Amino acid sequence: MIDLLGYGAFFLSTALIFALITLGLNLQWGLTGLFNVGISGFVAIGAYASAILTTPATPDRIGGFGWPILLGWAAAALLTAAAAAFTGYATLRLKSDYLAITTFGVAVVVQLVALNAQVLTGGPFGVAFIPRPFAAVQADPVLFNFANLAVIAAVTGATFLALQRLSRSPWGRVLRALREDERAAIALGKSARSYRIQAFAVGGAVMGLAGAVQAHFIGFIAPDNYLPTLTFQVWAMLMVGGSGSNRGAVMGAIVVWAIWVGSGSLTSAIVPGDWQARAASLQIVAIGVMLCLILLWRPQGFFGARRRGA
Amino acid sequence: MTILQVQSLIAGYEPGLSIVRGASIHAAEAEIVVILGPNGAGKSSLIKAIAGLVPITGGQVLLDGRDITTVPAHLKIRQGLAFVPQTENIFPLMTVEENLRVSGGILPRAEVGPRIEEIYQTFPDLARQRALMAGSLSGGQRQMLAVARALIVRPRVLMLDEPSAGLSPKLVEQVFARLTEIRRSGLTIVLVEQNARAALAIGDRAYVLVEGHEAHEGPAATLWNDPVIAELYLGQRRAS
Amino acid sequence: MSLQFLLNGLVNGSMIGLGAIGITLTYSILRFSNFAHGDFMAWGAYAALAVVGVLGGSTPLKPLSFGWPLMTALVVAMALTALLALVLDWLLFARLRARGQSIIVVMASFGASMALRNLLEFVFTSRPAYYSRAIQIAMPLGLGIKITADQIALLLLTVVLVTGMHLFVQRSQRGREMRAYSQNPALARVIGIDVDAVVRATWIIGAALACASGVMVGTLVQLRPLMGLDLLLPIFAAAILGGIGSIPGAVLGGLVIGLSEAAAVQVIGAEWRAAVAFVILMAVLLIRPMGLFGVAER
Repeated sequence: MIDLLGYGAFFLSTALIFALITLGLNLQWGLTGLFNVGISGFVAIGAYASAILTTPATPDRIGGFGWPILLGWAAAALLTAAAAAFTGYATLRLKSDYLAITTFGVAVVVQLVALNAQVLTGGPFGVAFIPRPFAAVQADPVLFNFANLAVIAAVTGATFLALQRLSRSPWGRVLRALREDERAAIALGKSARSYRIQAFAVGGAVMGLAGAVQAHFIGFIAPDNYLPTLTFQVWAMLMVGGSGSNRGAVMGAIVVWAIWVGSGSLTSAIVPGDWQARAASLQIVAIGVMLCLILLWRPQGFFGARRRGA
Repeated sequence: MTILQVQSLIAGYEPGLSIVRGASIHAAEAEIVVILGPNGAGKSSLIKAIAGLVPITGGQVLLDGRDITTVPAHLKIRQGLAFVPQTENIFPLMTVEENLRVSGGILPRAEVGPRIEEIYQTFPDLARQRALMAGSLSGGQRQMLAVARALIVRPRVLMLDEPSAGLSPKLVEQVFARLTEIRRSGLTIVLVEQNARAALAIGDRAYVLVEGHEAHEGPAATLWNDPVIAELYLGQRRAS
Repeated sequence: MSLQFLLNGLVNGSMIGLGAIGITLTYSILRFSNFAHGDFMAWGAYAALAVVGVLGGSTPLKPLSFGWPLMTALVVAMALTALLALVLDWLLFARLRARGQSIIVVMASFGASMALRNLLEFVFTSRPAYYSRAIQIAMPLGLGIKITADQIALLLLTVVLVTGMHLFVQRSQRGREMRAYSQNPALARVIGIDVDAVVRATWIIGAALACASGVMVGTLVQLRPLMGLDLLLPIFAAAILGGIGSIPGAVLGGLVIGLSEAAAVQVIGAEWRAAVAFVILMAVLLIRPMGLFGVAER
């Protein structure tokens, strides 16, 4: 029973971190219509930034500044926002496809830096000893898991409320207008490109923050955490939840993560050992097919608000 | 003999928002029919609907007695109905010759070459410019190419959407003179125009379209002097 | 410094260029960036592997590492990859295209790409595979450059495919129709072009060339389910560098990126190779987004 509680807290923590990333994507895609295929790259930037800034000094690695955790998170959000803003700056005067291709490239390059810039990122071994907020109670797993869950829920909840306000603010209304009808937005005298860059940067900041929070929750990061599969999972979450709705983003993240974990443990229970890697591939195939089916038959998702969806 | 017959046509881009509202027109063999009307009357939408580019929700289009209402746009030319849009009516990144050649796709392959030579005889200017990129042609030459391109498959009916738009009066005269020449070969021409005076000068018969259907019909020669039409049409022109 | 990297870059650039032709055609005619294009390469390469398996081994045509089975398999696999693209279009892309939001089609291609790649991994596992284990002797060309018979054969194949494709698009009626449709879809319909046939031709050409490119990678390097994903950024960069819609541009873009990658491997190190395409992509987007041979978007 205790185990189950601890596991439940752990599961929910991971799901809420995904929810945070999905909220960032919802600002970019759901509200503004900007297509980001490099989510894993932006999450990684945040995770590595905070890890490098907050870890204790290590002889073979640049960084290890021992900053307080909250400062690391703030820096992670800022740095990721800057990276997203630059990506937007380079591509948002062009056709929307160019943003997609460039974000894809960002993910490739971030992965490359994580793998190869050993002195900064620790290379394939990653960064360990990332300070965890409640290291003092680590001996009691249930308490520890719940403390983490509380922090993550607080960050996700605060971001949710902030994004909720933001999307109802005049700023959010301009973004929606831009998405619905570019001509109308230009006629309003707003600089469409600048608004889009802002939205992309804020969405990026949320993703970076999520990466940082997750890094400190697990205590260890490595390049393998930030493969294209991550991008893909987050897209599936937003599409299941219903793009355009923050509530849908959170619900979608929890539901898809539950399906992911559930199908994962089911296959590991029934599939023989040497077939497990293959079964894991099928899991991704299934999510890919699901994403396509949703696009075809239920583009508004399942948990979105009743007002117009995608 | 009636070639093109349009009966009570209803058409529009969005359901419930018809732009063409019950228009009926017809055109006989070798006739030049002019469609006039104030801005927003649905002239352009009417011929686009006939060409299959605006969804039709009611009424009928008959060509030579065959019902072609639901024939998709790309098959209408095979039925003998050609259309020259008002703008972007050539392929700018292809040469003049390629523009003609790509338009001859529905002819038997062996006929395309000789047919292009025939077209060059009718349009000697184009023959000289055959290797030029169509996008580098002047406005009048583009219009000629657009017409030539439509003629290459020997249509029965040629529909033009404001061929005079953006052309100088002299060029308008040239383009229209060419249309009257072409008509002698037995081609039926349906012309949508803002430039009423020039169009009525070459037309046989004219319709005035108001609010999506034909309000008046008459011989081109007398229509210009009809006081009711002049009031309706010129009044609008003064207002705009 | 050895000049070998020039040859390596040329070979590598040919594979990228062949892939980029498909990307540039799908973009200019179907109007979306196909993220599943890399997976057409991988599927093509593995389809050829499967066909080689069915045909059985035979002695290679010395000095090549492969024989008739792989050559036959290449043709069969090109047809199969084209079929895959057509089926995917019918099931997915065509339906979404009809709704008119091109970015949704891009997203669908991303989902399809994940599914295709992992399906490949499911069937063939992630272990590398090879068409042949035969060892190639490289012949000296002078200036310190060595070339293998396989490399010569595949460079020739690229020249034949690219020339053939260029002639097809420039001279044939279907090719003219494809160009016409990419310039003005509405007018193309008015003059009687069968849009469905143009769309089919686009998929068939793009997928067949992707397959050829994948088989080249498989012959010269190895087959892995991720091979298409790894080539995706270089082929996008090549298509944009060359100017979207231009076939010669795509090939030239591929060669530039292939040579730059080879030079980077020589100078900086092999581990940074994948960043080269990104750097070139960013440079093009910032300085000349229409690419070398492109025209400004209408």
